[in-house]
Amino acid sequence: MRTSMRTLRGRRLGAVAAVTGLALLALTACSGGSGATTGTPGSATSGDITWWGWTPDATNASKLIAAFNKEYPDIKVEFVSKPIDSYDSVLSPAITSSQGPDVFNVAPGSANGGVQTFEAGAIDLTSAVEGALGSDWKSKLAPAGVDGLSVGDKLVGLSAGAVYSGGLWINQDIFDKYNLKAPTTMAEWKSVCATLTADGQGCFVQGAGQWAFDMDTFEAIADNVEPGLYVKASKGEVPWTDPKFVTAMDLWKSLFTDGIMQEGAVGLQQYPDANNAFMSGKYAMVMMGTWYTQYAVKDSMVAAMEAAGVGSPTPITITPIPFPDLAGTGNTGSMFGDADYGLAVSAKSTKQAAATTFALWLTTSTAGQQAVANTLNDIPALKGVTPQWDQIDLVNSDKQKAALQTYTEGAGAATEPRFATVSADLNTAFRDALIGVASGDKTSMQALEGLEAVQKAQK
Amino acid sequence: MSAATTAPHPTGRPVISTGRPGGARRGRRRSHLQGAGLPWILPAVVLIVGLIYFSIGFTGYVATLDWNGFILSSPTHVGTANFTKMVGDTVFWNAIWHTAYFYVITFTVQTAIGFVFAAIMHSRVRLGAIYKVIIFVPTVLAPATMAPVFRQIFDVDGQFNWLLSHVGLDALTRPWLAESSTAMGVVMAITIWQWTGLTFILFYAAMSQIEPEILEAARIDGAGSVRTLWSIVWPMCRGTTSALAMLGLIGALKTFDIPYLVTKGGPNHGTEFLGTYIYQTMVQQKHFGYAAAISVALLMLAIAGGVLMSVRNRRAEGR
Repeated sequence: MRTSMRTLRGRRLGAVAAVTGLALLALTACSGGSGATTGTPGSATSGDITWWGWTPDATNASKLIAAFNKEYPDIKVEFVSKPIDSYDSVLSPAITSSQGPDVFNVAPGSANGGVQTFEAGAIDLTSAVEGALGSDWKSKLAPAGVDGLSVGDKLVGLSAGAVYSGGLWINQDIFDKYNLKAPTTMAEWKSVCATLTADGQGCFVQGAGQWAFDMDTFEAIADNVEPGLYVKASKGEVPWTDPKFVTAMDLWKSLFTDGIMQEGAVGLQQYPDANNAFMSGKYAMVMMGTWYTQYAVKDSMVAAMEAAGVGSPTPITITPIPFPDLAGTGNTGSMFGDADYGLAVSAKSTKQAAATTFALWLTTSTAGQQAVANTLNDIPALKGVTPQWDQIDLVNSDKQKAALQTYTEGAGAATEPRFATVSADLNTAFRDALIGVASGDKTSMQALEGLEAVQKAQK
Repeated sequence: MSAATTAPHPTGRPVISTGRPGGARRGRRRSHLQGAGLPWILPAVVLIVGLIYFSIGFTGYVATLDWNGFILSSPTHVGTANFTKMVGDTVFWNAIWHTAYFYVITFTVQTAIGFVFAAIMHSRVRLGAIYKVIIFVPTVLAPATMAPVFRQIFDVDGQFNWLLSHVGLDALTRPWLAESSTAMGVVMAITIWQWTGLTFILFYAAMSQIEPEILEAARIDGAGSVRTLWSIVWPMCRGTTSALAMLGLIGALKTFDIPYLVTKGGPNHGTEFLGTYIYQTMVQQKHFGYAAAISVALLMLAIAGGVLMSVRNRRAEGR
C-alpha cells in the first residue's frame, strides 16, 4: 500500500515536473532567437492593414491615411497609437504574432522602437524602395532616413521624415512685449534672462531631468565649440576627454550657474513640465526641435496650450532661433537629427504587399511626402518636398513664415545625426554626466571620463 | 474528560492520544479527504509552480544571458558575467543602501506616528471617525494620481516653498526634487504620508484587543498615560509591529512607483532603488540579462530579510 502511494505521488510529481519542463522548453525555445517566420505577400492594392506607432498623433495619422486612400481606396489602414514609454514592451510580443501589426514604427539608435532591436521582426525593404525610386534611390532620400534605419545592408524601415534639434524656440509675443531681440551670444542670453527675470517673467526652461534634451543642448554647445566633434566622439574617433569637450561641458555648467537655466531644472522633465511651462507662457524660451514647428499652426497651438492646462487660450507666436554662440567661435546654426520614425513591414504579416504599398506611398511618393510635410511635424524624407506654406494657417504668418522657411530648409540640409550614433549605454552615461555636472556632483572632467569609459567598453 | 495517554511510536517519539473513541476513524477520514482534495488544489499548484516558480527559474536563466529582450533576437550566454558586473556596480550598491535607510526611516516614523495616532484615537476624541478617514485616505490613493501633485508641491515654485517663505523660512526654500540630498527626503515623506494610515489602522485594531482590565490595573498601580502606553500597550502590540516590520521590508525592497513617478530615480541616482534600476536597465538600456541578475539579487535579499525577521520574531516570542 505504502509502495503504491509512493508510486502515485511520484507520478503526480512527475506530471507536474513534466508540465513545468515543457513550459520551460517552450519559453526557452521562444527566446532562442529562432527568427521570424515569413508571412505572406497577399494583394498589393487591397486589404485591411494595421499600423502601430507612437507618432504621429491621431489627427495627423488620420490626415495621412485619408490622403493615402485617395490613391489606394481598397487598402484600409488602421493606425494604433501606442505610448512611447511602453512601445518596446508591447511591440516585442506583437510582431512575433501573425495577429500583430502589419506596419510598425521603428527609430534609429537607442530610441524606443530601435531598429537594432526589432530588425529581426521586419522584412528588408531594399528591393521595394528600388522599385519605387530606381537604383539611385539613396540619392533621392535624406541620408538620416536611410543610414539610421538600416542594419548592415538590410533596410529595416522607410523614413517618413526626420526631426532635427540644435536650435531654440522663443515666445515672440513675450520678446515683443519687452522689446527684446533673440540672443546670439552668451552675454546677450544672460542679458535677456536678466531683463525677463527682473520683470517676473521666466526666461529659459528645460526639463533637465529628461536627459535626451540635455544631450541636444550639449550637442549644440559641442558643435559650437567645433562642428562635428560630438558625432566623431560618439563613433569613438575622438576621446570624450578631449579638452574641447571640457570647454563644452563647462559651458553646459554655466547655463545653470549664470542664471540662464531655470532653478530646479534637473528636477523637471521636458515633457510635460518644461513643455507645459512654455506653452502656458511662464517662460519665453525653450530647447525644442523641428517637431515644435507644428505648433506654429493656429489649431495645433491652441490644442497644445489646452493640453498644457491653459483655459480658453489665445495662440502664442513661436519662432525658431539658432542656438546662441556660447563659445564665441561663430559656429552657429548647427542642426542634427534622425528619422523621426521609419515604417517597417512585419515579417509575420499576411498582408506584406499591401503593407509595403502603404509604407512606400507615405515615404517615397510625392503625394505622401507632401502630406507629411504639411503636418509640420517632420521634415520630409524625399528631397525637394517642402511644406505648402500658403495652405497652412500659421498663428502669425508675418512673424513666423520667413523664419520657419529658413528653419525647415536648414534642417532638411543637415547631415549630422542626433541619436543614431549613440548607443543605449552611452545614452545612459550621458544622463550621469550631464545631470552630474549640472547639479555639481561631478566635475566636467569626471563626467567626460565616465563617457569615455563607456565608449571604450563598447569597442 | 478522558486523560491523555502516551503510546510508543516507530520513530521513538511518544504519540499523544486523546483516548477518544473513533480517533483512528477520524484519521482515516482525514487521509481520505486529503486524497480527494488533491485535484482541487492541483490547478493552484500548477499555476504557482508553472508561473511563479518557473518565472523565478527562467529569470535565473536570463541572468546568464546578454540579451536585448526581443524574442526573435538571439541571446548570448555569458555565464556569471552579469553577476560579476553587478558586484562592481556602484549604482546597484547605492540602490541597496537607499533601500536600507529608506526602510529604517520610513518604518520608524510610520510606526511612531501610527502608534501615537491610534493611541489618541482610543482616547475618545471628538470627531474621531472623521480623523480616521482623513488619516487612512492616503493609503487608498494611487501613487500615479498623486505623483503630479507632489511634483508640483515640491517644485521650486511649488506650494511647499511658498509655505516656507510665508512662515519666514526663506532660507530653507530650495528645488527639493532637483538635489540628490533632498529628493530622497521627499520620496520618504510621500511614502510615510501614504502608508501611515495603514499602520494606524492596524495599531488601532491591535489596541482594541487589549483587555480594559489590564489598562485599568495599570492605572490603579499608578501608571500615567505615557507609562501605560510604553510599558503595557506597546509590548502588547508587538505582534502588529512585527507584521508591519515585515510588510515594510517587503515594501522597501519592492519600492518603485513613488521614486519612478516623482523623481525617475534621480537626480544622479539619488532616489535609485532596486526596482527603478531594474526597470531602467531592462526597458531603457535593453540589458535584460543584467536586469534579471539584479532581480535575482533582489529575490535573495527578500528571502534573507524574511528569514532573518522570522527568526528574530520567533526569538522575541520565546522570551
